[in-house]
Amino acid sequence: MFKKLIDNAAAKSPWLYHINAGSCNGCDIELVAVLTPRYDAERLGFKLAGTPRHADIVVVSGPVTVQSLPRVLRTIEQVPEPRVIVTLGSCPRSCNVFKGSYSVAGPLDKYVPIDVSIAGCAPKPEAIIHGLALAAQILKEKREAKK
Amino acid sequence: MEIMDIVMYAVYILIFPGALFTCLFGLWLAGVDRKVVARMQHRKGPPVTQPAWDFLKLCGKECIVPANAARGVFMAAPYIGLASLIVTVLFIPLGGFHAFTTNGDTVVILYLLAIPTLAMILGGSASGSPYAGVGASRTMVSVMAYELPLILVILAVGKGATPDGYYFTFSLEQITSVQELFGPNLFDWRLIPAAVAMLLVIPCEVGQHPFDVGEAETEICEGPLVEYSGKPLAVFKLSHCIKMFVMTAFFCAMFLGGITTGMLWLDVVLTLVFCTVVTLVCMSLLHAISARFRVEQLFKFFWTVVSGFALVSLLLVWFC
Amino acid sequence: MTYDVYMHFPVIAIMTLFVGAFCVTLAGKREKLRNVIACISVLVPLTLLSLLIKPVMMDGQIIVYWMGNWEPVEGYAIGIAIEVDPLSLFFGLLVAIAVTASCIYSFQYIKQDDARGSYFTLYLMLSGGVMGIVLSGDLFNIYVMLEVMTFAAVGLTAFRTWNPNAREAAFKYLVVGSVGSTCSLLGTALVYAQCHTLNLAQISAILPGNLNPTMVLAFALLFTGFGCKSFMFPFHPIAADAHGAAPSSVSVLISGVFTKTGVYGIIRVCYFLFRSMGMTSVQTMLVFIGCISMFVCVTMALNQHDFKRLLAFHSISQIGYILTSLGLCTALGVAGGLYHAINHTLFKGLLFLTAGSVLYATGTTYLENLGGLARKMPKTTILFLIGAFSISGIPPFNGFYSKWLIYQATYEKAAETGNIAFALVTVICVVTSVLTLASFIKVGHSVFFGQLAPGCEKAKDPPAGMQLGMGILAALCVFTGLFPNVMMKYIITPAVNVVYNTSLYIDSAMGQGYAAEHLGDAVMPLMNGQLPLIGSWSPISWLVLFVVVLAAVFLVSLTGRGNRVTTCEPDSKHAVFFGGEAAEYSHISGGDLFWGFKHTMRRYLGFMSRVHTGVTNDYVLWAVTATAVILTYCFVFML
Repeated sequence: MFKKLIDNAAAKSPWLYHINAGSCNGCDIELVAVLTPRYDAERLGFKLAGTPRHADIVVVSGPVTVQSLPRVLRTIEQVPEPRVIVTLGSCPRSCNVFKGSYSVAGPLDKYVPIDVSIAGCAPKPEAIIHGLALAAQILKEKREAKK
Repeated sequence: MEIMDIVMYAVYILIFPGALFTCLFGLWLAGVDRKVVARMQHRKGPPVTQPAWDFLKLCGKECIVPANAARGVFMAAPYIGLASLIVTVLFIPLGGFHAFTTNGDTVVILYLLAIPTLAMILGGSASGSPYAGVGASRTMVSVMAYELPLILVILAVGKGATPDGYYFTFSLEQITSVQELFGPNLFDWRLIPAAVAMLLVIPCEVGQHPFDVGEAETEICEGPLVEYSGKPLAVFKLSHCIKMFVMTAFFCAMFLGGITTGMLWLDVVLTLVFCTVVTLVCMSLLHAISARFRVEQLFKFFWTVVSGFALVSLLLVWFC
Repeated sequence: MTYDVYMHFPVIAIMTLFVGAFCVTLAGKREKLRNVIACISVLVPLTLLSLLIKPVMMDGQIIVYWMGNWEPVEGYAIGIAIEVDPLSLFFGLLVAIAVTASCIYSFQYIKQDDARGSYFTLYLMLSGGVMGIVLSGDLFNIYVMLEVMTFAAVGLTAFRTWNPNAREAAFKYLVVGSVGSTCSLLGTALVYAQCHTLNLAQISAILPGNLNPTMVLAFALLFTGFGCKSFMFPFHPIAADAHGAAPSSVSVLISGVFTKTGVYGIIRVCYFLFRSMGMTSVQTMLVFIGCISMFVCVTMALNQHDFKRLLAFHSISQIGYILTSLGLCTALGVAGGLYHAINHTLFKGLLFLTAGSVLYATGTTYLENLGGLARKMPKTTILFLIGAFSISGIPPFNGFYSKWLIYQATYEKAAETGNIAFALVTVICVVTSVLTLASFIKVGHSVFFGQLAPGCEKAKDPPAGMQLGMGILAALCVFTGLFPNVMMKYIITPAVNVVYNTSLYIDSAMGQGYAAEHLGDAVMPLMNGQLPLIGSWSPISWLVLFVVVLAAVFLVSLTGRGNRVTTCEPDSKHAVFFGGEAAEYSHISGGDLFWGFKHTMRRYLGFMSRVHTGVTNDYVLWAVTATAVILTYCFVFML
């Protein structure tokens, strides 16, 4: 009865959980900037959740260090379905300048499928909002695909 | 006749002012609150329907019961909390509209309001997460904190004066009917400190921002709710919204009751407007201008300042 | 059945218990036989007293039974009488219920102990003593039964002789209890010297008019004596030790029944024998002691680390409610106090039995070592939650109804006297109630919820016999919460009537008109018999609404499927969120809870735990000081 409504709701209230996988903090600051009055991602329903159990979108930043890898994977697994994985910045996708380091286990797509990548070092807030909006659409599609 | 009665009661319970209306109005209040807070912070803010979308989205998510949880209590707690909240609404008169108000008085409501919080605490501690343990502990401290001023407010409002003499009552129905004759309690100067205390109690009972020590998302991962996902979480979020309605309606019945226009539906609408205004004053305003209290600051604040206000009112009512 | 048959019921009820105590010994090591005898000896009084509800409670007959047919001669009651008015029957029923439930529970529970034969002997002696006190109509007889009860209780406290704490607790109990016993003996002697009779009814007729200094002394001593038995405020530390150390099935009796004899004694002394309850000074004393007991003990309970010690402090706190309510001297106050008395017996009995089950299953009641038992002991958890909700006054359980009566009684008293202090008493009652809830959250969280503690893996629900014992009490908790009108009509109101109109009691024992002749003007009831309520609460309609709404919510939640519930699998998805780390054992135990509260109140709580030294000498000093203060108070304000 409510299936359609619920499917629509999936795109309208995506909650984020942010994982820092060894990031330099540049992307993290930009993500927070997205929530400030200037960009106000909350108008699209985005909200930072305190725990992966509440999240729809997992935002990973950083080149995925050896130390952080098991934690990242465990946390992603703890997010309930349907979930969307977004990489923030170049690091999780290509390891960026950290490529080849003994302590880096990335890129992330070796371990989990990635739905949206937001490029940039660090990405602009506009780009982040665009990426998140895409992620929200994917969330809706995933929800619709479910029986 | 019999059947008509049953239909009428069913409408009261399920539609107005029961389950359906309560949920919708609670979601509306939460939406308005979020919008206004955003505007006060110079943001555009989410649409007013945002809490409803959040609720629907959570309904469509997977529900994970963690391995450490006591499954029965974990799953039952949110539903019991929600149902008892909705029943509490039925005990509160809405601008002259009395559904089942003769079945409970102010003290009963004080205790009924503890059930949803208790459900959250038990559900949280049943999840087996240490974050939830800390959250349960903090939530309980905030319950201890606000019950003292709240009972003082109830006693102060319970003693009122009519030209014929004093009356003592716990009955909300009587409190509203006396206000009908002698004007709302809010305009009685002796009860103003009590009203202020009550306005501070409301956000604490609801778990709104400066007093949300138990669900602090940045410190303890939303406390008791840390392990909840999917429908049970949706129900908890809905209960949170409904609590706003219950508490503001309780405030309106105690302090703004008895404003009559002669038309019942207009009275009800007026009360609902008052509820919204009270929400904005005591929740949105405080949320936008203050940072979260620490738990021991909260406890101290409520047992000294807020209780002080309420006690002053009680003394004034008693001796003036 | 005629009145003549009923007359013999009370005495048979008392005798069965005592005879049973000896027969149990004869059974020797034959366990089955012993259990059957014990079972019969507790069921017979329960049945007989239940049969008395009709004539005594509903028809208003007061049963007077003269032992050996020694009826009063020339207006002087020389023989020993058994006088059963609704008040006595009320307490008798309460005793019988608790004794039966706990007895059924103990068959299985003490299987782990040795010396099981002496357990039932002492158990039945204790029950018989309590039953004797509440049904007796003779002051000295009450004293004798008090001693029987105390010594049986001391023996049972030290029942687990391998446990040094139990031996120490029994010793403390013996020493401090003897202060109380001495007081009541001295008081009894003074009353006898003055009135030349020991019959309660006759004393109630003769005494109230002649309140000379000797009688004030007697009053203060009797009050202290019974107060000591109810473990009111300065006598409370021994209760914590005794309840904590005794086997749980005995704690039920000590906490639920033993303390009620103190309450019963105080009602008899204050309302009947001396009729001093009309005096503001006595009211103030009782309310003051009640409030202090309730607040001090609930804060002490919050600080405890042992399940049973915590419960023990709570039982004094609840006794505080009862004393406060009785001290108001209004019909509603007495009703609230009596209702709370029966509720306290039920829910505290239930909680002690669940504590016993935890001990039975895991071997410890130390909160810090327990956790996560809900998954291993689901039935016990539900029973515990019923008990915990009842004691913390969550509607619609029974504790709420009686507390609600008490709030109204205190606030109406404030209205009646214009004294704001009584309104503050209401506030203290509510705060105590919240703190009670907090400490049961603490127990629930640290024992039943959270992660499974190491060492508890093998825990499981107790055997059926123990569950039955708990189930009876839980069912009664729910019943008394949901049907307060039935309880009020058939059980409470008759008892309240006889409390405020003592001449009924006097006349039926000593002959019609005796009360009017001796009491003169004082024959008028102490208070208005009406039970005016200033609020309203109807548990049944709440329940109906709740069930309807819950069903509606549940139905709606069934529609719009498409998400699934995945449960409790031991993979990392279902592991508890630890900020990304692998799950490990981390349980927020009882001692860590409520930091904000404890931090703010640290000076008070620190002072309280420093004062409760655990040294017998200190506690005797408290007891003696309390006696001296009460004596002085009575002399200053009652004459």
